[in-house]
Amino acid sequence: MRAFLQTLIGGIGFGAVYALVAMGFSIVYRTMGLVNFAHGSVVMIGAYAASTFSMTVALPFPVAIVIAIVVTGLIGLVIERVLRPLEGRDFDLMLIGTIGFGTVLEALAILIWGATGHAVPSPVGSAPLDVFGVRVRAYSLVVIAVAAGATVLLALFLRRTKLGAAMQAVAMDPQAATAVGVHVGRSNAMAFAIGAGLAALAGGLIGPMLYVSPVMGGSLGIKGFAAAIFGGFGSIPGAIVGGMAFGILDSFAAGTFQGYSELVVFLVFTVAIMILPTGIFGERTVNRA
Amino acid sequence: MFPSPLHRILTAPAAVLSLLVLTSCSAPGEQAGAGESGTGPIKVANVNAQSGQLSSLGKWENKGVKLAIDEVNKSGGINGRQVQLDLFDDQGDPTVGTNLGRKIADGGYVAMLGTAESAVTLAMAPILKDAKIPNITSGQSPKLAGLKSPFLFLNAPTSVTYDETLAKYLVETKGLKKIALISNNGTYGTGEHDAFLASLKTRGVTPLADEVVTPDQKDFSAALTGIRDKEPEVLFIGAEEVESGLIAKQARELGVKAVLAGGAPMGTEPYLTTAGQDATEGAVVSSPYLTNDATEATRAFAAAYKTAYGEEAEVHGAKAYDGARILVEALKATGGAGGQKLADAIRATKYAGLLGDFAYDESGVGIHATQIAVIKSGELVPETAS
Repeated sequence: MRAFLQTLIGGIGFGAVYALVAMGFSIVYRTMGLVNFAHGSVVMIGAYAASTFSMTVALPFPVAIVIAIVVTGLIGLVIERVLRPLEGRDFDLMLIGTIGFGTVLEALAILIWGATGHAVPSPVGSAPLDVFGVRVRAYSLVVIAVAAGATVLLALFLRRTKLGAAMQAVAMDPQAATAVGVHVGRSNAMAFAIGAGLAALAGGLIGPMLYVSPVMGGSLGIKGFAAAIFGGFGSIPGAIVGGMAFGILDSFAAGTFQGYSELVVFLVFTVAIMILPTGIFGERTVNRA
Repeated sequence: MFPSPLHRILTAPAAVLSLLVLTSCSAPGEQAGAGESGTGPIKVANVNAQSGQLSSLGKWENKGVKLAIDEVNKSGGINGRQVQLDLFDDQGDPTVGTNLGRKIADGGYVAMLGTAESAVTLAMAPILKDAKIPNITSGQSPKLAGLKSPFLFLNAPTSVTYDETLAKYLVETKGLKKIALISNNGTYGTGEHDAFLASLKTRGVTPLADEVVTPDQKDFSAALTGIRDKEPEVLFIGAEEVESGLIAKQARELGVKAVLAGGAPMGTEPYLTTAGQDATEGAVVSSPYLTNDATEATRAFAAAYKTAYGEEAEVHGAKAYDGARILVEALKATGGAGGQKLADAIRATKYAGLLGDFAYDESGVGIHATQIAVIKSGELVPETAS
């Protein structure tokens, strides 16, 4: 039982980060119908920015993360601006464009920070809490709380603000949205910036749990993407459920199947997608090209 | 249709990309055969990952190699000829490696230094053997020695040596017999796992736990909780630098109190910083290169390394440096000639290097000892008389 709970706790800690990554994928997808393949690299840039500002410039960790969110948000805006001429014209080129941006960001990170990467000390110094023999990292609790807070804020933004409503409108029907005076380009730019900001949040939070290097975005990006699909691509609650499910599945598969865990996780994912092609919260509102 | 500033933004990433592509595939083919002719520079290839998961290893190795070659060139080269060092990026990928192997074979290179990844070196070995190009690799998988290729040499001991020394110290010197293993199923991790398990077996020790993880895994709760419940005295970690660090950190967070033990990765800076000082305290490390302070030679090497690159030297740079120096000694003996003559010369080279005294046997292994150190306050402190 103790081992079961410990594995569950470990899975949830990483699941919260996968959920944030998945949310970034989904917000761009639901607005533009585009998979941003540079997302994993933006997570990496966010992790570098947050850790550099907190370690080198010695800013408090939360401030460093906020700066990282702003920096990567700007990168998101640049990506969207460059791709905008293709919007509604050539969808495949836009996809390839995001892949190209991913490669460029990775190369830039190597130029700026070098290839070796660095470890980030945990901003929460306290020892793990001991709950009936189950160890809970204090930092994991922080990550879960921040992820939950970000989710609530994002949901409020989409539901309660004019800009958010405009983004929803663009997601459903860009032509009709344009007709009622919504600026589609601005709405897309907003989605990209929010997506990149979420990536920075995920990257900044996972830095102290892992090791920050130019290639860290690869597996985080793939797991986050798979989590988004698993939950229902484009759905915000789906991203949360998918991320958590992926983290927990990962954790248990590692315990049971050891070296074959990766294989098992993605096999389960494939089977799940075959049964539920639109994911758990499959909304099919988005289909634009 | 497109305003022109936009065009510039569009083309900038493309330009960066094409630049990268250009720099990574220049050199081969040009001046083919110059290395053989007895005039002009002697061409040596350095193959190491400069991108991808293993690029940190590749960068360290390249720095060590470059330092050695620059020193030789500055002191007048080999018989008056400069050594031309060309860097190839194998991306840590055996397929890319075999393609590069063919390029090197056609490009007039007399020798190859690298790679840092055993799997890549294993894939390239047959091609280099056919082309009679000696290769001094940084890989340490026992499989490399098992090939017995007359053109393949290692610049470090194999995992067997690392783990034999480690097992001997833990079981015989310290009397610790309750041992648990955690290793990844990549080439390096598997080599470590098999070698350490074999060393335990010869001492009649059966591990309490033998957990296998994947090289890409991030959360080790399940494996480590299982290990904690068995209360081992020692936890052996067989994984690369960063993953070893994550395992150590999470082990301590989950309340595993065992002494941590492992090979060379556990003496490196990425491991120490990833795990954090509290987690690494008291860990036992088996490595042929413990500190930059060990001897006169290592101090000189570390100082030169620091001047050249502005960072502290570590084991990978040191062994790559040794490998390059051995190649230079052998080239001096052959007067710059390659092929079988150079392979024979490398085998005959007796070299007092940073890692110890090199003397190659027929399996291409030149050094057969590692030392034991215990980590105290983030520093490797050598254990004397092991």
